[in-house]
Amino acid sequence: MIKLEGVTKIYSTDSIGLRNINLHIKAGEFVSIVGQSGTGKTTLVRLLIAEERPTKGKIVIGDWDVTEIPSGEIPYLRRQIGVIFQDFKLLPKKTVYENVSFALEVAGEKSEHIKKIVPQVLDVVGLGEKMWRYPKQLSGGEQQRVAIARSLVHRPKIIIADEPTGNLDSLNTVEIIEILKKINEFGTTILLATHNREIVNELRRRVITLRGGEIVSDEESGKYRL
Amino acid sequence: MKKVVNIVYNNMHSIYRIIKFSLQDLGRNFGLSTMTVFILILMLLSVNVLWGVDILTKQATSLVKEQINISLYFKAETTDKNLEEVQKYLSVLPEITEMNLVTRDQVLDSFKNRHKLSSEVLSALEELKENPFGPTLIIKTREPQDYKKILQAVDVPEYDALIETKSFEGNEEGIEKIQNITNRIEKIGFGLSALFAIISFLIIFNTIRVSIYTQRIEISIKRLVGASSWFIRGPYMVEAFIFALLSVSITFGLIYLALHFLDPYLSIVFSNGFTLTNYYNSHIILLTGIQFVSVLLLTFISSGLAMRKQLKV
Repeated sequence: MIKLEGVTKIYSTDSIGLRNINLHIKAGEFVSIVGQSGTGKTTLVRLLIAEERPTKGKIVIGDWDVTEIPSGEIPYLRRQIGVIFQDFKLLPKKTVYENVSFALEVAGEKSEHIKKIVPQVLDVVGLGEKMWRYPKQLSGGEQQRVAIARSLVHRPKIIIADEPTGNLDSLNTVEIIEILKKINEFGTTILLATHNREIVNELRRRVITLRGGEIVSDEESGKYRL
Repeated sequence: MKKVVNIVYNNMHSIYRIIKFSLQDLGRNFGLSTMTVFILILMLLSVNVLWGVDILTKQATSLVKEQINISLYFKAETTDKNLEEVQKYLSVLPEITEMNLVTRDQVLDSFKNRHKLSSEVLSALEELKENPFGPTLIIKTREPQDYKKILQAVDVPEYDALIETKSFEGNEEGIEKIQNITNRIEKIGFGLSALFAIISFLIIFNTIRVSIYTQRIEISIKRLVGASSWFIRGPYMVEAFIFALLSVSITFGLIYLALHFLDPYLSIVFSNGFTLTNYYNSHIILLTGIQFVSVLLLTFISSGLAMRKQLKV
Protein backbone atom coordinates (compact mmCIF):
# COMPACT_ATOMS: atom_id res chain seq x y z
CA MET A 1 0.00 0.00 0.00
CA ILE A 2 2.69 2.51 1.09
CA LYS A 3 6.33 1.85 0.25
CA LEU A 4 9.33 4.06 0.98
CA GLU A 5 12.74 3.01 -0.34
CA GLY A 6 15.83 4.87 0.80
CA VAL A 7 13.96 8.13 1.22
CA THR A 8 16.06 11.10 2.27
CA LYS A 9 14.97 14.71 2.55
CA ILE A 10 17.64 17.37 2.91
CA TYR A 11 16.52 21.00 3.34
CA SER A 12 20.03 22.39 3.73
CA THR A 13 23.43 21.10 4.80
CA ASP A 14 22.58 21.60 8.47
CA SER A 15 18.89 20.68 8.20
CA ILE A 16 18.14 17.09 7.27
CA GLY A 17 14.46 16.08 7.50
CA LEU A 18 14.73 12.35 6.86
CA ARG A 19 17.63 9.94 6.35
CA ASN A 20 17.40 6.75 4.32
CA ILE A 21 13.88 5.71 5.32
CA ASN A 22 12.79 2.23 4.27
CA LEU A 23 9.22 1.41 5.14
CA HIS A 24 6.38 -0.81 4.02
CA ILE A 25 2.83 -0.30 5.30
CA LYS A 26 0.23 -2.86 4.31
CA ALA A 27 -3.43 -2.15 3.53
CA GLY A 28 -5.64 -1.95 6.63
CA GLU A 29 -2.81 -1.29 9.09
CA PHE A 30 -2.97 1.29 11.87
CA VAL A 31 0.54 2.66 12.15
CA SER A 32 1.75 5.25 14.63
CA ILE A 33 4.81 7.29 13.71
CA VAL A 34 6.27 8.62 16.92
CA GLY A 35 9.15 10.82 17.89
CA GLN A 36 9.90 14.13 19.50
CA SER A 37 9.34 17.41 17.71
CA GLY A 38 11.69 17.90 14.78
CA THR A 39 12.39 14.20 14.23
CA GLY A 40 10.82 14.16 10.76
CA LYS A 41 7.20 13.06 11.37
CA THR A 42 5.70 16.05 9.56
CA THR A 43 8.32 15.82 6.81
CA LEU A 44 7.22 12.24 6.21
CA VAL A 45 3.56 13.31 6.00
CA ARG A 46 4.43 16.14 3.59
CA LEU A 47 6.33 13.73 1.36
CA LEU A 48 3.44 11.26 1.33
CA ILE A 49 0.94 13.88 0.14
CA ALA A 50 3.46 15.28 -2.37
CA GLU A 51 3.61 18.62 -0.60
CA GLU A 52 7.37 18.17 -0.85
CA ARG A 53 9.61 15.96 -2.97
CA PRO A 54 12.32 13.70 -1.49
CA THR A 55 15.94 14.55 -2.19
CA LYS A 56 16.65 10.86 -2.73
CA GLY A 57 14.68 7.61 -2.75
CA LYS A 58 11.31 6.41 -3.93
CA ILE A 59 7.79 6.67 -2.49
CA VAL A 60 4.97 4.52 -3.82
CA ILE A 61 1.34 4.76 -2.65
CA GLY A 62 -0.93 2.21 -4.29
CA ASP A 63 -0.32 2.63 -8.01
CA TRP A 64 1.19 6.10 -7.64
CA ASP A 65 4.92 6.71 -7.77
CA VAL A 66 4.78 9.85 -5.67
CA THR A 67 8.45 10.63 -6.34
CA GLU A 68 7.86 11.04 -10.06
CA ILE A 69 4.30 12.35 -9.95
CA PRO A 70 3.70 15.29 -12.33
CA SER A 71 2.34 18.38 -10.54
CA GLY A 72 -0.87 18.20 -12.58
CA GLU A 73 -1.63 14.78 -11.08
CA ILE A 74 -1.03 15.76 -7.44
CA PRO A 75 -4.69 16.79 -6.89
CA TYR A 76 -5.79 13.34 -8.07
CA LEU A 77 -3.40 11.67 -5.59
CA ARG A 78 -4.68 13.86 -2.75
CA ARG A 79 -8.25 12.90 -3.55
CA GLN A 80 -7.27 9.28 -2.80
CA ILE A 81 -5.76 10.13 0.59
CA GLY A 82 -7.54 11.69 3.53
CA VAL A 83 -5.34 14.05 5.50
CA ILE A 84 -5.96 15.38 9.00
CA PHE A 85 -3.80 18.20 10.33
CA GLN A 86 -3.03 19.44 13.83
CA ASP A 87 -4.39 22.90 12.98
CA PHE A 88 -7.50 21.39 11.29
CA LYS A 89 -7.01 23.40 8.08
CA LEU A 90 -10.69 24.18 7.63
CA LEU A 91 -11.91 26.86 5.24
CA PRO A 92 -13.04 29.63 7.62
CA LYS A 93 -15.55 31.20 5.22
CA LYS A 94 -17.32 27.92 4.54
CA THR A 95 -19.81 26.14 6.79
CA VAL A 96 -19.18 22.67 8.21
CA TYR A 97 -21.28 21.17 5.41
CA GLU A 98 -19.46 23.19 2.74
CA ASN A 99 -16.03 22.27 4.13
CA VAL A 100 -16.86 18.59 3.84
CA SER A 101 -18.66 18.84 0.50
CA PHE A 102 -15.76 20.83 -0.95
CA ALA A 103 -13.57 17.71 -0.96
CA LEU A 104 -16.19 16.00 -3.12
CA GLU A 105 -16.90 19.02 -5.31
CA VAL A 106 -13.25 19.37 -6.33
CA ALA A 107 -13.33 15.71 -7.35
CA GLY A 108 -16.35 16.38 -9.59
CA GLU A 109 -18.84 14.31 -7.59
CA LYS A 110 -22.50 14.73 -8.51
CA SER A 111 -24.54 17.15 -6.40
CA GLU A 112 -27.18 14.53 -5.56
CA HIS A 113 -24.50 12.22 -4.16
CA ILE A 114 -22.93 15.08 -2.18
CA LYS A 115 -26.29 16.08 -0.68
CA LYS A 116 -26.81 12.49 0.44
CA ILE A 117 -23.35 11.52 1.69
CA VAL A 118 -22.20 14.66 3.53
CA PRO A 119 -24.92 14.64 6.22
CA GLN A 120 -24.30 10.90 6.72
CA VAL A 121 -20.57 11.41 7.30
CA LEU A 122 -21.25 14.36 9.60
CA ASP A 123 -23.60 12.12 11.60
CA VAL A 124 -20.78 9.56 11.93
CA VAL A 125 -18.50 12.19 13.54
CA GLY A 126 -21.41 13.53 15.61
CA LEU A 127 -21.83 16.88 13.90
CA GLY A 128 -25.09 16.31 12.01
CA GLU A 129 -26.76 18.98 14.11
CA LYS A 130 -24.07 21.58 13.49
CA MET A 131 -23.55 21.30 9.76
CA TRP A 132 -24.58 24.91 8.99
CA ARG A 133 -22.20 26.44 11.51
CA TYR A 134 -18.90 28.03 10.59
CA PRO A 135 -15.62 26.59 11.97
CA LYS A 136 -15.14 29.50 14.38
CA GLN A 137 -18.49 28.61 15.98
CA LEU A 138 -17.15 25.15 16.93
CA SER A 139 -14.81 23.88 19.65
CA GLY A 140 -11.34 22.53 18.80
CA GLY A 141 -12.53 18.94 19.08
CA GLU A 142 -15.51 19.63 16.85
CA GLN A 143 -13.32 21.34 14.27
CA GLN A 144 -11.05 18.30 14.19
CA ARG A 145 -14.09 16.08 13.71
CA VAL A 146 -15.05 18.22 10.70
CA ALA A 147 -11.53 17.67 9.35
CA ILE A 148 -11.96 13.92 9.87
CA ALA A 149 -15.33 14.02 8.10
CA ARG A 150 -13.70 15.87 5.20
CA SER A 151 -10.90 13.33 4.99
CA LEU A 152 -13.40 10.46 5.15
CA VAL A 153 -16.08 11.66 2.80
CA HIS A 154 -14.49 10.46 -0.43
CA ARG A 155 -13.86 7.01 1.11
CA PRO A 156 -10.07 7.06 0.87
CA LYS A 157 -8.03 3.89 1.28
CA ILE A 158 -5.49 5.77 3.41
CA ILE A 159 -5.89 8.42 6.08
CA ILE A 160 -2.81 10.31 7.21
CA ALA A 161 -3.20 12.16 10.49
CA ASP A 162 -0.44 14.61 11.45
CA GLU A 163 -0.66 15.31 15.19
CA PRO A 164 -4.50 15.33 15.03
CA THR A 165 -4.81 15.68 18.79
CA GLY A 166 -2.03 18.22 19.26
CA ASN A 167 -4.44 21.09 19.88
CA LEU A 168 -7.05 19.13 21.83
CA ASP A 169 -7.78 18.37 25.48
CA SER A 170 -7.68 14.76 26.75
CA LEU A 171 -11.42 14.17 26.36
CA ASN A 172 -11.46 15.29 22.73
CA THR A 173 -8.24 13.37 22.12
CA VAL A 174 -9.88 10.13 23.18
CA GLU A 175 -12.91 10.86 20.98
CA ILE A 176 -10.76 11.53 17.90
CA ILE A 177 -8.71 8.38 18.38
CA GLU A 178 -11.89 6.34 18.81
CA ILE A 179 -13.17 7.70 15.50
CA LEU A 180 -9.87 6.82 13.79
CA LYS A 181 -10.02 3.31 15.24
CA LYS A 182 -13.56 2.87 13.91
CA ILE A 183 -12.48 4.06 10.47
CA ASN A 184 -9.60 1.55 10.57
CA GLU A 185 -12.02 -1.25 11.46
CA PHE A 186 -13.74 -0.66 8.11
CA GLY A 187 -10.42 -1.40 6.35
CA THR A 188 -8.92 2.05 5.90
CA THR A 189 -5.17 2.27 6.45
CA ILE A 190 -4.34 4.83 9.13
CA LEU A 191 -1.01 6.54 9.49
CA LEU A 192 -0.89 8.54 12.70
CA ALA A 193 2.02 10.88 13.36
CA THR A 194 2.03 11.82 17.03
CA HIS A 195 4.13 12.44 20.09
CA ASN A 196 1.32 11.60 22.49
CA ARG A 197 2.59 8.71 24.61
CA GLU A 198 -0.84 7.74 26.09
CA ILE A 199 -2.50 7.38 22.71
CA VAL A 200 0.24 5.15 21.31
CA ASN A 201 0.42 2.95 24.37
CA GLU A 202 -3.33 2.55 24.50
CA LEU A 203 -3.60 1.65 20.79
CA ARG A 204 -1.19 -1.34 20.97
CA ARG A 205 -0.68 -1.25 17.21
CA ARG A 206 2.41 -0.96 14.98
CA VAL A 207 4.74 1.81 16.14
CA ILE A 208 7.56 3.31 14.10
CA THR A 209 9.92 5.50 16.08
CA LEU A 210 11.86 8.29 14.44
CA ARG A 211 14.91 10.01 15.86
CA GLY A 212 16.99 12.58 14.01
CA GLY A 213 15.19 11.74 10.76
CA GLU A 214 15.97 8.00 11.00
CA ILE A 215 13.84 4.99 11.93
CA VAL A 216 15.21 3.69 15.22
CA SER A 217 12.55 1.05 15.84
CA ASP A 218 9.61 -0.56 14.08
CA GLU A 219 7.45 -2.81 16.31
CA GLU A 220 4.31 -4.67 15.28
CA SER A 221 2.60 -4.11 18.62
CA GLY A 222 4.72 -1.48 20.11
CA LYS A 223 4.79 1.16 22.78
CA TYR A 224 6.01 4.73 22.87
CA ARG A 225 9.75 4.49 23.58
CA LEU A 226 12.25 7.31 23.18
CA MET B 1 -20.60 9.22 -27.15
CA LYS B 2 -21.51 8.55 -23.52
CA LYS B 3 -17.94 9.43 -22.54
CA VAL B 4 -18.16 12.78 -24.37
CA VAL B 5 -21.51 13.56 -22.73
CA ASN B 6 -19.96 12.76 -19.33
CA ILE B 7 -16.96 15.05 -19.99
CA VAL B 8 -19.28 17.90 -21.08
CA TYR B 9 -21.50 17.28 -18.04
CA ASN B 10 -18.52 17.28 -15.67
CA ASN B 11 -17.09 20.46 -17.19
CA MET B 12 -20.44 22.24 -17.00
CA HIS B 13 -20.75 21.08 -13.42
CA SER B 14 -17.27 22.39 -12.59
CA ILE B 15 -18.06 25.76 -14.21
CA TYR B 16 -21.30 25.96 -12.24
CA ARG B 17 -19.39 25.20 -9.01
CA ILE B 18 -16.69 27.75 -9.82
CA ILE B 19 -19.33 30.46 -10.37
CA LYS B 20 -21.09 29.38 -7.16
CA PHE B 21 -17.83 29.55 -5.16
CA SER B 22 -16.94 32.95 -6.59
CA LEU B 23 -20.34 34.41 -5.68
CA GLN B 24 -20.05 32.87 -2.22
CA ASP B 25 -16.56 34.33 -1.78
CA LEU B 26 -17.75 37.76 -2.93
CA GLY B 27 -20.61 37.73 -0.44
CA ARG B 28 -18.60 36.34 2.46
CA ASN B 29 -15.65 38.65 1.83
CA PHE B 30 -17.96 41.61 1.28
CA GLY B 31 -15.63 44.15 2.91
CA LEU B 32 -12.63 43.08 0.85
CA SER B 33 -14.70 42.90 -2.36
CA THR B 34 -16.11 46.39 -1.75
CA MET B 35 -12.63 47.78 -1.10
CA THR B 36 -11.29 46.19 -4.28
CA VAL B 37 -14.13 47.62 -6.41
CA PHE B 38 -13.73 51.01 -4.70
CA ILE B 39 -10.01 51.17 -5.54
CA LEU B 40 -10.68 50.09 -9.11
CA ILE B 41 -13.31 52.86 -9.42
CA LEU B 42 -10.85 55.46 -8.08
CA MET B 43 -8.24 54.29 -10.57
CA LEU B 44 -10.71 54.34 -13.47
CA LEU B 45 -11.95 57.79 -12.47
CA SER B 46 -8.35 59.08 -12.51
CA VAL B 47 -7.82 57.59 -15.96
CA ASN B 48 -11.06 59.12 -17.22
CA VAL B 49 -10.23 62.54 -15.79
CA LEU B 50 -6.94 62.39 -17.68
CA TRP B 51 -8.75 61.16 -20.76
CA GLY B 52 -11.28 63.99 -20.49
CA VAL B 53 -8.56 66.61 -20.05
CA ASP B 54 -6.79 65.21 -23.11
CA ILE B 55 -9.99 65.40 -25.18
CA LEU B 56 -10.66 68.96 -24.02
CA THR B 57 -7.08 69.99 -24.80
CA LYS B 58 -7.29 68.50 -28.27
CA GLN B 59 -10.66 70.14 -28.83
CA ALA B 60 -9.35 73.51 -27.62
CA THR B 61 -6.21 73.38 -29.77
CA SER B 62 -8.19 72.34 -32.84
CA LEU B 63 -10.56 75.23 -32.17
CA VAL B 64 -7.60 77.61 -32.00
CA LYS B 65 -6.17 76.09 -35.17
CA GLU B 66 -9.52 76.52 -36.91
CA GLN B 67 -9.46 80.22 -36.11
CA ILE B 68 -6.25 80.61 -38.08
CA ASN B 69 -6.50 81.03 -41.81
CA ILE B 70 -4.74 82.73 -44.67
CA SER B 71 -6.50 85.29 -46.84
CA LEU B 72 -5.32 86.12 -50.32
CA TYR B 73 -6.66 89.53 -51.35
CA PHE B 74 -6.75 89.75 -55.11
CA LYS B 75 -6.60 92.96 -57.11
CA ALA B 76 -9.90 94.36 -58.40
CA GLU B 77 -9.00 93.69 -62.01
CA THR B 78 -8.44 89.94 -61.41
CA THR B 79 -10.60 87.98 -63.80
CA ASP B 80 -12.66 84.90 -62.97
CA LYS B 81 -10.33 82.89 -65.19
CA ASN B 82 -7.31 84.03 -63.15
CA LEU B 83 -9.11 83.11 -59.97
CA GLU B 84 -10.06 79.68 -61.25
CA GLU B 85 -6.45 79.10 -62.23
CA VAL B 86 -5.18 79.99 -58.76
CA GLN B 87 -7.83 77.83 -57.09
CA LYS B 88 -7.01 74.91 -59.38
CA TYR B 89 -3.32 75.34 -58.65
CA LEU B 90 -3.87 75.41 -54.87
CA SER B 91 -6.43 72.60 -54.78
CA VAL B 92 -3.75 69.98 -55.52
CA LEU B 93 -1.84 70.90 -52.37
CA PRO B 94 -2.57 68.20 -49.73
CA GLU B 95 -2.03 70.63 -46.86
CA ILE B 96 -5.17 72.61 -47.76
CA THR B 97 -8.37 71.42 -46.07
CA GLU B 98 -10.71 74.19 -47.14
CA MET B 99 -10.84 77.09 -49.63
CA ASN B 100 -13.57 79.71 -49.66
CA LEU B 101 -13.86 82.35 -52.30
CA VAL B 102 -15.42 85.68 -51.33
CA THR B 103 -16.54 87.44 -54.52
CA ARG B 104 -16.01 91.16 -55.17
CA ASP B 105 -19.68 91.90 -54.48
CA GLN B 106 -19.59 89.97 -51.20
CA VAL B 107 -16.46 91.85 -50.15
CA LEU B 108 -18.17 95.15 -50.97
CA ASP B 109 -21.32 94.15 -49.05
CA SER B 110 -19.26 93.09 -46.10
CA PHE B 111 -17.34 96.38 -46.17
CA LYS B 112 -20.55 98.39 -46.34
CA ASN B 113 -22.02 96.41 -43.50
CA ARG B 114 -18.97 96.99 -41.34
CA HIS B 115 -19.05 100.71 -41.96
CA LYS B 116 -22.79 101.28 -42.05
CA LEU B 117 -22.55 103.79 -39.23
CA SER B 118 -19.79 105.77 -40.91
CA SER B 119 -21.42 108.01 -43.53
CA GLU B 120 -18.03 109.45 -44.56
CA VAL B 121 -16.67 106.07 -45.55
CA LEU B 122 -19.86 105.17 -47.40
CA SER B 123 -19.97 108.50 -49.32
CA ALA B 124 -16.28 108.05 -50.27
CA LEU B 125 -17.19 104.67 -51.65
CA GLU B 126 -20.10 106.20 -53.61
CA GLU B 127 -17.75 108.67 -55.22
CA LEU B 128 -15.61 105.87 -56.63
CA LYS B 129 -18.60 104.75 -58.76
CA GLU B 130 -17.28 101.23 -59.08
CA ASN B 131 -16.37 98.41 -56.71
CA PRO B 132 -12.75 99.03 -55.64
CA PHE B 133 -12.35 95.62 -53.97
CA GLY B 134 -10.96 92.48 -55.47
CA PRO B 135 -12.09 88.97 -54.49
CA THR B 136 -10.62 87.25 -51.45
CA LEU B 137 -9.59 83.60 -51.14
CA ILE B 138 -9.69 82.23 -47.56
CA ILE B 139 -7.57 79.12 -47.05
CA LYS B 140 -7.46 76.72 -44.14
CA THR B 141 -4.74 74.10 -43.70
CA ARG B 142 -4.33 70.93 -41.63
CA GLU B 143 -1.62 72.31 -39.37
CA PRO B 144 -0.56 75.90 -38.66
CA GLN B 145 2.96 75.25 -39.97
CA ASP B 146 1.47 74.37 -43.39
CA TYR B 147 0.79 78.04 -44.02
CA LYS B 148 4.42 78.58 -44.88
CA LYS B 149 4.12 76.10 -47.73
CA ILE B 150 1.01 77.83 -49.07
CA LEU B 151 2.74 81.18 -48.94
CA GLN B 152 5.72 79.75 -50.79
CA ALA B 153 3.37 78.19 -53.34
CA VAL B 154 1.71 81.52 -54.20
CA ASP B 155 4.96 83.45 -54.05
CA VAL B 156 5.55 83.22 -57.81
CA PRO B 157 5.91 86.14 -60.26
CA GLU B 158 2.69 85.41 -62.22
CA TYR B 159 0.61 85.57 -59.03
CA ASP B 160 2.38 88.68 -57.71
CA ALA B 161 0.55 90.64 -60.38
CA LEU B 162 -2.80 89.25 -59.16
CA ILE B 163 -2.47 89.24 -55.38
CA GLU B 164 -2.72 92.56 -53.63
CA THR B 165 -1.84 91.33 -50.19
CA LYS B 166 -1.73 88.27 -47.94
CA SER B 167 -3.19 88.60 -44.45
CA PHE B 168 -1.13 85.88 -42.86
CA GLU B 169 2.37 87.31 -42.78
CA GLY B 170 1.85 89.37 -39.64
CA ASN B 171 0.55 86.34 -37.66
CA GLU B 172 3.44 84.02 -38.43
CA GLU B 173 5.03 84.36 -35.00
CA GLY B 174 1.75 83.78 -33.18
CA ILE B 175 1.01 80.67 -35.23
CA GLU B 176 4.40 79.20 -34.39
CA LYS B 177 3.79 79.83 -30.69
CA ILE B 178 0.44 78.07 -30.84
CA GLN B 179 2.06 75.19 -32.67
CA ASN B 180 4.76 74.92 -30.00
CA ILE B 181 2.22 75.03 -27.18
CA THR B 182 0.01 72.34 -28.74
CA ASN B 183 3.04 70.13 -29.39
CA ARG B 184 4.11 70.46 -25.77
CA ILE B 185 0.59 69.78 -24.49
CA GLU B 186 0.47 66.61 -26.60
CA LYS B 187 3.84 65.49 -25.23
CA ILE B 188 2.81 66.22 -21.62
CA GLY B 189 -0.47 64.37 -22.25
CA PHE B 190 1.39 61.34 -23.55
CA GLY B 191 3.80 61.40 -20.59
CA LEU B 192 0.93 61.71 -18.10
CA SER B 193 -0.95 58.87 -19.79
CA ALA B 194 2.12 56.63 -19.57
CA LEU B 195 2.59 57.57 -15.91
CA PHE B 196 -1.07 56.86 -15.15
CA ALA B 197 -0.87 53.53 -16.95
CA ILE B 198 2.04 52.48 -14.73
CA ILE B 199 0.33 53.76 -11.56
CA SER B 200 -2.91 52.00 -12.54
CA PHE B 201 -1.10 48.72 -13.09
CA LEU B 202 0.61 49.00 -9.71
CA ILE B 203 -2.67 49.88 -7.96
CA ILE B 204 -4.54 46.96 -9.52
CA PHE B 205 -1.65 44.58 -8.97
CA ASN B 206 -1.35 45.48 -5.30
CA THR B 207 -5.10 45.50 -4.69
CA ILE B 208 -5.48 42.02 -6.12
CA ARG B 209 -2.31 40.84 -4.39
CA VAL B 210 -3.63 41.99 -1.01
CA SER B 211 -6.93 40.30 -1.76
CA ILE B 212 -5.20 37.01 -2.67
CA TYR B 213 -2.71 37.33 0.21
CA THR B 214 -5.53 37.47 2.76
CA GLN B 215 -6.84 34.22 1.32
CA ARG B 216 -3.47 32.46 1.02
CA ILE B 217 -4.23 29.92 3.76
CA GLU B 218 -7.54 29.04 2.16
CA ILE B 219 -5.84 28.55 -1.20
CA SER B 220 -3.29 26.17 0.31
CA ILE B 221 -6.05 24.25 2.14
CA LYS B 222 -7.98 23.87 -1.12
CA ARG B 223 -4.83 22.58 -2.73
CA LEU B 224 -4.26 20.07 0.10
CA VAL B 225 -7.76 18.60 -0.19
CA GLY B 226 -7.19 17.91 -3.87
CA ALA B 227 -8.46 20.98 -5.73
CA SER B 228 -6.81 21.46 -9.11
CA SER B 229 -5.15 24.78 -9.98
CA TRP B 230 -7.99 25.55 -12.37
CA PHE B 231 -10.59 24.89 -9.67
CA ILE B 232 -8.78 27.32 -7.35
CA ARG B 233 -8.05 29.97 -9.99
CA GLY B 234 -11.55 29.77 -11.51
CA PRO B 235 -13.47 31.63 -8.78
CA TYR B 236 -10.83 34.39 -8.77
CA MET B 237 -11.23 34.75 -12.53
CA VAL B 238 -15.01 35.03 -12.18
CA GLU B 239 -14.50 37.54 -9.36
CA ALA B 240 -12.12 39.53 -11.58
CA PHE B 241 -14.82 39.61 -14.26
CA ILE B 242 -17.41 40.83 -11.74
CA PHE B 243 -14.97 43.41 -10.30
CA ALA B 244 -14.22 44.73 -13.79
CA LEU B 245 -17.91 44.86 -14.73
CA LEU B 246 -18.95 46.58 -11.49
CA SER B 247 -16.08 49.08 -11.43
CA VAL B 248 -16.51 50.11 -15.08
CA SER B 249 -20.32 50.41 -14.73
CA ILE B 250 -20.15 52.48 -11.54
CA THR B 251 -17.32 54.64 -12.94
CA PHE B 252 -19.30 55.49 -16.08
CA GLY B 253 -22.39 56.19 -13.99
CA LEU B 254 -20.35 58.68 -11.95
CA ILE B 255 -18.79 60.17 -15.10
CA TYR B 256 -22.21 60.83 -16.69
CA LEU B 257 -23.38 62.35 -13.43
CA ALA B 258 -20.35 64.67 -13.36
CA LEU B 259 -20.76 65.57 -17.05
CA HIS B 260 -24.36 66.56 -16.41
CA PHE B 261 -22.99 69.41 -14.27
CA LEU B 262 -19.87 70.11 -16.34
CA ASP B 263 -21.31 70.30 -19.85
CA PRO B 264 -23.20 73.62 -19.42
CA TYR B 265 -19.84 75.27 -18.62
CA LEU B 266 -18.13 73.58 -21.57
CA SER B 267 -20.80 74.76 -23.99
CA ILE B 268 -19.87 78.34 -23.07
CA VAL B 269 -16.20 77.69 -23.87
CA PHE B 270 -16.76 75.61 -26.99
CA SER B 271 -18.96 77.57 -29.32
CA ASN B 272 -19.03 74.72 -31.85
CA GLY B 273 -21.45 72.77 -29.65
CA PHE B 274 -18.89 70.28 -28.35
CA THR B 275 -19.84 68.53 -25.09
CA LEU B 276 -18.13 65.69 -23.27
CA THR B 277 -21.48 63.88 -22.92
CA ASN B 278 -21.78 63.75 -26.71
CA TYR B 279 -18.18 62.58 -26.94
CA TYR B 280 -18.77 59.80 -24.38
CA ASN B 281 -22.07 58.84 -26.04
CA SER B 282 -20.46 58.47 -29.44
CA HIS B 283 -17.45 56.54 -28.07
CA ILE B 284 -19.18 54.61 -25.29
CA ILE B 285 -18.49 51.11 -26.64
CA LEU B 286 -14.84 51.88 -27.32
CA LEU B 287 -14.28 53.60 -23.96
CA THR B 288 -16.07 51.03 -21.81
CA GLY B 289 -14.61 48.18 -23.87
CA ILE B 290 -11.00 49.33 -23.55
CA GLN B 291 -11.36 50.02 -19.84
CA PHE B 292 -13.22 46.77 -19.11
CA VAL B 293 -10.71 44.64 -21.02
CA SER B 294 -7.76 46.50 -19.43
CA VAL B 295 -9.07 46.03 -15.88
CA LEU B 296 -9.94 42.40 -16.60
CA LEU B 297 -6.54 41.60 -18.10
CA LEU B 298 -4.66 43.42 -15.35
CA THR B 299 -6.73 41.62 -12.70
CA PHE B 300 -6.17 38.24 -14.35
CA ILE B 301 -2.42 38.82 -14.63
CA SER B 302 -2.16 40.20 -11.08
CA SER B 303 -4.14 37.35 -9.52
CA GLY B 304 -2.20 34.81 -11.58
CA LEU B 305 1.13 36.22 -10.40
CA ALA B 306 -0.04 36.59 -6.80
CA MET B 307 -1.39 33.05 -6.68
CA ARG B 308 1.64 31.31 -8.17
CA LYS B 309 3.32 30.91 -4.78
CA GLN B 310 0.23 29.54 -3.02
CA LEU B 311 -0.47 27.05 -5.80
CA LYS B 312 2.95 25.46 -5.42
CA VAL B 313 1.75 23.63 -2.27
